[in-house]
Amino acid sequence: MKKIKLIIIGISLVALTAVSCSKSFLDQSPDISLSVDRSITSESSMLEAVAGMYRSMMTYYTFGRNYQVLGDLLSDNVYMSSSNSGRLITFSGFLWTAESAEIKMLWQNTYFSILQANRILAADIPRTENVNYLRGECYTARALCYFYLVNWFGPAYSAQPDGLAVPIVTQSADVTGPLIYPERNTVKEVYHQIIQDLDSATAIMGTSTTMHANSSNFLSKYAAEALKVRASLYSEDYSGAKQAALDIITNGGYQLTADLSSFTSYWLATAGRTDKLESIFEINYPAAANNGVEGLDYMYSAKGFGDLLATDSLYNLYSPSDFRRTLMADSTRGGYQGYVVKKYQNPTSTDHDEIKLLRYAELLLNLSEAYIETGDKTHALQYLNELAKKRDPAFSGYGSSLSDQEVLSAIYKERRKELAFEGLRFFDLKRENVDFNREDMKEKAYSNYKVVTKTDFRRVLPIPQDELNANHNITPTDGY
Amino acid sequence: MRSLRWKMVSEKTKVMTGFLPKLLLICCLFISFTAFGQDQGSANGSEKQVFVLTGHLEDQNGKALPSVTVHLLGKQSSALSDKTGFYQLSGVQVGDRVSFSFVGFETLSQTVHAKQLNAVLKPADSQLEDVVVVDGYRVQTRKTNVSSIAVVDGKQMENKPFASYEQSLQGKVAGVSVVGSSGQPGALQSIRIRGLGSMALSSDPLIVVDGMIVNSGNLANNTVTTNALAGINQNDIASVNVLKDAAATSLYGSRGSNGVIVITTKKGSMGKTKISADVELGSATPMDPPKAGMPLNASQYAELFKEALANQGESADEIKTIADSYGLNSGKSNDWYDIVTRNGQQAQYNISLSGGTEKTKIFASAGLFKQEATTIGSDLNKKSALFKIDHKINKRMDFSAELNVSNVDMHAPYATSYYGNPIYASRILRPFQLAYNEDGSVNTSTTGNTNFSGIYNPVLIAKKDVKHNSQTRMLGNTQLRWNIIDKLYYTSYFSIDYNTLEETTFLNPVMGDGKALGGRSKNYYERYFNYLTRNQLDYRFDIPDMDRFYLTATAGYEAQASKWYLLAADGYGFPSAASGLTALSNAATPVGTYGQNEGYSFTSGYGILTANYQDKYILNASYRRDQSSRFAINNRSADFYSIGGAWNIGEEKFFKKQYVLSALKLRSSYGITGNADMSNYAWMPLASYSGATGYSYNGIAGQQFVTPGNVDLKWERSKKFDAGVDVGFFKDRFGLTVDYYYNNIDGLIQNVATSYTSGFASTLKNVGAMVNSGWEFTVNGNVIQTKDFYWNTNFNIAFNKNKVTSLYANTNEQNGQFYLKEGYNFYTYYMKEFAGVDPDNGDALYYTDHTHQQTTNKISEAAFSALDKQANPKFLGGFSNSFNYKGINLSIDFNYSGGNYVYGASDLYFISAAYYTYNKYSYVYEHRWTTPGQVTDVPKYATTTDYSTSTARLYKGDYIRLRNVSIGYDFAKSHIALLEKYGIDKLNLYVRATNLATFLFDDRLPFDPEVSYSGYETNNIPLYKTFTVGINVGF
Repeated sequence: MKKIKLIIIGISLVALTAVSCSKSFLDQSPDISLSVDRSITSESSMLEAVAGMYRSMMTYYTFGRNYQVLGDLLSDNVYMSSSNSGRLITFSGFLWTAESAEIKMLWQNTYFSILQANRILAADIPRTENVNYLRGECYTARALCYFYLVNWFGPAYSAQPDGLAVPIVTQSADVTGPLIYPERNTVKEVYHQIIQDLDSATAIMGTSTTMHANSSNFLSKYAAEALKVRASLYSEDYSGAKQAALDIITNGGYQLTADLSSFTSYWLATAGRTDKLESIFEINYPAAANNGVEGLDYMYSAKGFGDLLATDSLYNLYSPSDFRRTLMADSTRGGYQGYVVKKYQNPTSTDHDEIKLLRYAELLLNLSEAYIETGDKTHALQYLNELAKKRDPAFSGYGSSLSDQEVLSAIYKERRKELAFEGLRFFDLKRENVDFNREDMKEKAYSNYKVVTKTDFRRVLPIPQDELNANHNITPTDGY
Repeated sequence: MRSLRWKMVSEKTKVMTGFLPKLLLICCLFISFTAFGQDQGSANGSEKQVFVLTGHLEDQNGKALPSVTVHLLGKQSSALSDKTGFYQLSGVQVGDRVSFSFVGFETLSQTVHAKQLNAVLKPADSQLEDVVVVDGYRVQTRKTNVSSIAVVDGKQMENKPFASYEQSLQGKVAGVSVVGSSGQPGALQSIRIRGLGSMALSSDPLIVVDGMIVNSGNLANNTVTTNALAGINQNDIASVNVLKDAAATSLYGSRGSNGVIVITTKKGSMGKTKISADVELGSATPMDPPKAGMPLNASQYAELFKEALANQGESADEIKTIADSYGLNSGKSNDWYDIVTRNGQQAQYNISLSGGTEKTKIFASAGLFKQEATTIGSDLNKKSALFKIDHKINKRMDFSAELNVSNVDMHAPYATSYYGNPIYASRILRPFQLAYNEDGSVNTSTTGNTNFSGIYNPVLIAKKDVKHNSQTRMLGNTQLRWNIIDKLYYTSYFSIDYNTLEETTFLNPVMGDGKALGGRSKNYYERYFNYLTRNQLDYRFDIPDMDRFYLTATAGYEAQASKWYLLAADGYGFPSAASGLTALSNAATPVGTYGQNEGYSFTSGYGILTANYQDKYILNASYRRDQSSRFAINNRSADFYSIGGAWNIGEEKFFKKQYVLSALKLRSSYGITGNADMSNYAWMPLASYSGATGYSYNGIAGQQFVTPGNVDLKWERSKKFDAGVDVGFFKDRFGLTVDYYYNNIDGLIQNVATSYTSGFASTLKNVGAMVNSGWEFTVNGNVIQTKDFYWNTNFNIAFNKNKVTSLYANTNEQNGQFYLKEGYNFYTYYMKEFAGVDPDNGDALYYTDHTHQQTTNKISEAAFSALDKQANPKFLGGFSNSFNYKGINLSIDFNYSGGNYVYGASDLYFISAAYYTYNKYSYVYEHRWTTPGQVTDVPKYATTTDYSTSTARLYKGDYIRLRNVSIGYDFAKSHIALLEKYGIDKLNLYVRATNLATFLFDDRLPFDPEVSYSGYETNNIPLYKTFTVGINVGF
């Protein structure tokens, strides 16, 4: 009997030690990082995650430079000087391929920002007013990312609404695991997702928040609406565009600069705004976090690389009294005459230029276009002239004698003048669905690719080769 | 009791070799199973007279043996023999059994028949029986062990002039590659057991020291190379066991797949207190690179320099102008190789004490080891102490405790292609760049072509920079062993492995990496606290009524956790006036502060079951269930097991009928082990802040989801099969061990490309598989064994084949310089093939493709080929010899490796004329094409010759190294009287040389081929020779 007792004692000794180790003994976690499922637990940690999301959008691979530059360089607004720093030169001559690093980075970094939005939206914390506002920012940021993706990687809605665009991913990689293989969605589907996100944002966001104090550096309810106006217009939902635009005009409190000095100082400023002047959303590039020599300002400004110059045809669109012509200078570059761009003037300042993604001026043009598309010339002219006359005091405005088609042309012309160097021109040319000429700047330019026909496969950027390799469900882009 | 009985059996077998084997066997069985009964029987039948037993003990040569422990079995009394070999043991009765034991001799047990009992002890040189095998959980004899475990006796490690114990293992164990690709004393030694264990995770074996699974490898963050185990004093090691197959390694479950190295340190022994003192002094001298790789002297360099310019079309006048500006005609030059090398000082002092009583035994030691490498700025200074106590609490309880403390202090210059690396600098600096000014001061000028505008003056860097690491380690454990009842033991073990590192870098403001910042210093403090508890039950069950048939069962539970803490700071701007102020506190501008923690933990339950029938048939099964923090909750647990068996044919009756073979054992095992040697949080999807501003936006601290992790990540698994045979010949005078293994490793973790739409470019995934298979042969024995002369030899060779069998779809075939593809060795070179030199014009020619049909002089037109050349050795091994003649001992050890090619990863600078302002290998000078019609393998020395990576930069890696030669003299053999006078038991004098000679097999090879397992040569500090003189004294 004693023997058995002793054996039992022995076995229980080992068994005891086995159970005395608590489960948490095996839980180890880093102290410079957080497990994603425990990273957003409060309003303040969500705010930090939202800051991280904005930060991801600052990269020069996407909104920090390349989206803006490509939108003008690939169109008729801008050419690359023959004297250049070597950046983005394959785009100057329409020579990119599915292997181009810039396209891969554009793709990858945009989806990285989408991931940030996705995982914040997945955070399960009580929906306070602030939390809702932050969630609204994430919906809007995600919509913004998809808006640029659908326009770069898919055909124009006006040309092929059922053409293949990009995969819609709305779940976070910590939920699905990083090994996902989504198919490309159609242009229509992506726009549907964008509008849905923007409606979600508008529904839950207050008109302002103490967290950001009306700062133009954050996406607001009006930013969501302004983006909805743009997306609705692009996807030919004119009534949706009008409705959202009118809400901003009525309740938003935004305004245009009143005179030249106010216009000049607006474009010279490096800080975000709280006065609702012109800017609805612009990304902040402060001293502590800017792209340095890789920034958008460095590409345009003569104080930086100044590789990109305005084409003659663009410059000649402006009348001498147009405020906007002051944002260019007749100068020289690489031994040739050229029009230097001055929209971004602070590449060498400690605080760099903000990058403007949504402006009140564009909203007015969008609204005007929505009106003319629905046959309301009066309102179309009202909003078009509101802008055009402000920018050029000598201009008396477009008259009501113009036909609808002429008004539309006038809108496009004003769009080109107003939004030059802001990355939207290529989208307009795609939307118009016409052949267009890239001005032949001869020896001044690094390379020339003159005519982009309606059917040119390069109107759509290729799905990157690495994506094709890693995702067996994705379809390559035609032509590449 | 159990091991004692086995010993009695085996020793009987040996001592009474004159008898018929059958009779012998019966005798043994008789004694072992009925000893007590017999004792009683004989005692009953005679008078119970108690007397003092006396006797004389000597060795086979008739020399008296002092200090032999004479033990009265079962009665707890013992005695020691005196200097003349006589002993007296009281309280003895007829029929009692006594044992005689002495280090280095087989323990002998005999039954007392009279008042005097003389004995002759045999040296312990048998191949199978007495070697004790330790796997960390059990102690077995080799005979009963079913697995492939190689044992290296501590004696082979004593007094070696190596900074870490691994260096003594090189060439000693079949199938174990130990490579010290850096000559930095205290450098990490790369160990591969049976080939490459993993693609992406570590392939380093698990290291166990006295039962503790320690943190090993390079624990530093800011030092070129360190070795966590450099602090172990080789003289403290009793044995090193290398666990190679599943039966042995699966006990370590999730961490056993790369093999396990079990280090056992010495412990105190009963009897007279012995003191051993060793002093060794000597020097390290450079091991010059092969002739092909020596840098050029001044006139050779000047000749090539001008030739490059001439081939570029420069006129004679232009060449002269340029040459003048580079000081080629100044008549002033120096030899950089000579400047960066030196003769290093080498010293070690060790003292140890061992002694104790039946109840309490202690061992204590202290050691000091100093070594200067032959490269300037590289040295090591280590201090270590070990204290161990074994105490018998009562009849059933034993307690032991030990503490090992060491400090390794080293200076380690930069390696690889850093300008601050003295070796790299010496290979590229021109002889006309002068280290010293005319007044003898160090040249600090950074302007002008005769000074140091690009590469730094290594003399100044060695003098002014500080690259220092001080690593303090404390390794301690306590163990309680309780014999609960007869055959049931409970063991409770607790150990702490504590490591701290203080790393200090100072980059001087005068020249070098710190110049632009006005001097820079980085300080790192790191602490590793690792602890483990283990509770284990061992039970033995003898099957009733069966002759020597028993089962043993072991069950245990283990928990381990290790924490890492880092505190670091970085600053620049140092006072220029006082060069001594290198402490970080002097920095004007702080640039970085770092503080963080990490940790991992494991818990394990394990069991081992053994069945042994008469030592003939042995079956062993083990099971272990591991849980680790390194995997997500759902994948946290994994099961590992093994099954193995052995057949000791040597124990069979029929076997005893022949006399050639004295032992024969077949064994085999199969099992599954794992590898979890990866970063601590690899599985975890992580959000980070990246400091205050890293992910911030508009002044708000920012958080991003930056690491995808993979919650599905699991252990890599190695399914190991091993079959082996151990043979003893001629009364075990010779032994042969052969092993075949086939390790199928699957679930290899690879970095797999993900769809970018996930937000990430890649993630870790268990996808790959590969196979390592091979043969291992070890032969050892006493070739000559006469009264005066004795020659013991050991030869081993191992062949390893690696084959990748599965990869993730679309895996890029080009993996650096290697071809990553199913069916190929992981280290198969993938390069453009050099086709020689066009004799007409000296152009380098390349094959356009693998068919070798066409050549081109444009490397861009040549295709990559998967070559029949690999970086990892096809075979490796060692050849050790020990000769004894009347007290004179000569040891000669070789190690070798071959069948592989090594790659000069930064050769380009030392061979290409495009870098004509850098010095060149001699081979380039000797063999370059100069005249039409000349057939050679070095192209024209022209700046346009494209020397991009091709097979021109591959060299045969085969070598044989004379690793160790020592000659010693043992005074105890012939000067006993003299030694006695001073109370000395042991006195040895020896002279030793290491790395004395290396035999190479490629005339083109410009560097020592002992490079990393992946074949890359990266300008590390070279290995060197040491010459030492030592004395060991024992009291």
